[in-house]
Amino acid sequence: MIQTPMPIQKPTARPTASAPVNDQAAARPAAITFEVKNLSIWYGEKQAIRDVTIDISAKTVTAIIGPSGCGKSTFLRCLNRMHELVPRTRVEGEVLFDGENLYGPGTDPAVVRRRVGMVFQKSNPFPTMSIAENVLVGLRLNGVRNRRLLAERLEKSLRMAALWDEVKDDLRKPGMSLSGGQQQRLCIARAVAVEPEVLLMDEPASALDPIATMKVEELITELKRDYTIVIVTHNMQQASRVSDKTAFFYIGELIEFDETTRLFSQPREKQTEDYITGRFG
Amino acid sequence: MLRGKHILHGFDEVLESLRADVLMMASLAERNLAHAMNCLLERDAQQCAITIADEDEVDALEKKIDQDGIEVLLRFQPVASDLRQVVSTMKVGNNIERVGDQAVQIARRARALNHQPELPAASSLAPLFREASEVFRASMRAFADGDFARARALHTRDRHIDQMNHDLADDLTLAMSSQPDRIPDFMNLIFIARHLERVGDHAQNIVEDIVYATEADDIRHPANAFQP
Repeated sequence: MIQTPMPIQKPTARPTASAPVNDQAAARPAAITFEVKNLSIWYGEKQAIRDVTIDISAKTVTAIIGPSGCGKSTFLRCLNRMHELVPRTRVEGEVLFDGENLYGPGTDPAVVRRRVGMVFQKSNPFPTMSIAENVLVGLRLNGVRNRRLLAERLEKSLRMAALWDEVKDDLRKPGMSLSGGQQQRLCIARAVAVEPEVLLMDEPASALDPIATMKVEELITELKRDYTIVIVTHNMQQASRVSDKTAFFYIGELIEFDETTRLFSQPREKQTEDYITGRFG
Repeated sequence: MLRGKHILHGFDEVLESLRADVLMMASLAERNLAHAMNCLLERDAQQCAITIADEDEVDALEKKIDQDGIEVLLRFQPVASDLRQVVSTMKVGNNIERVGDQAVQIARRARALNHQPELPAASSLAPLFREASEVFRASMRAFADGDFARARALHTRDRHIDQMNHDLADDLTLAMSSQPDRIPDFMNLIFIARHLERVGDHAQNIVEDIVYATEADDIRHPANAFQP
């Protein structure tokens, strides 16, 4: 059972949530979840992220926008080390998560990914599992066997994903029997079931119809109360609706990062202005 | 900010059409204002009637601009300078309509005055009329050119118009005391001066919208420190 934030370091380092792992963590403002400093990422010879520095505040929604290939998804994935699944990846710079170095030598990527959940563009429920099994798979993999706890977490997660009322009588039906929008919310329920602190969302509504999209957007606004959310989206109206802050990336560089309202009404950089108004390239 | 071509050509076209309607509306409002003042200064009853009748054209254009503006917002969901341009253009349209309203009010009061013996003091309103219509015209030229520097320069001229109106009201009140039988006519002149002063206010609003659209700077109420 995951009650308090787990340290991302492997047991040999053994820091606790109340005991910061280094001086940087002690000096960190409480409201910052990620401090990204001079981050650069390469896939083989190709540099995908160039010297990005950005602070991501706790319990806010941060939108990442930019043209295809600008490094949005790479940046998102570097926040839970998912990009490392791509061979020949190299990282320079620093990502502090709750003050702890995400890329420190003792950091356990599995723990990072448990604390920093992810929702993908295409809903991906496990095809052989029921709705309930899909939600609880993360907990079971972590050794949770207590039936009452599992039942509680199942309902709580489905309620958080605004799906409970629609599926409460069909929990044993296959996850794949749900509509596309429901499947995506099921994946969100699966992500929140292990009680992460952060949700990373990579174009979570791009494959959904307008009603399902609105439900997911409403859900994001609700989840913000409990989670830090970082969302990659190509839909700028969506970014302006759901996010508090927006970052604009172009060819791996962070061009502008500001309050969403400000960025979409009076951007400071011409590249941002040209991109969001459709005068790019 | 230098604006390149929009990827959606339709957006630039509808925005240009919206702006053209606003400029047409401004021309009509300016013409109506001139007719209304001719009605007063030349005691030309026909011009009063023309001013009042032509108000319908300005009103119809205001509705068209609002409808087209909403359609642009709906179809293109513009952001940044595009959003500011559309919203400001609609607001400029609203201010021009009110300039048209002032012209009608002036024409109605001038018509009432024309039913009375000529009042020489009426000519004292001519400088205020020239100043108000010049500022309005200049504000619309700045709108047409997207010239924020000229718009900013115009922003302070409203104070001059306010002062002219204030001085005129003092003079006319003084003159009224020596001609108590013409008090209703002097009151009409004071109200016409007030309508011209309002034209200056609308020109100032237009100037503020231009600066917001082009520079994203809200220059309204600079002395107001209150934060809601």
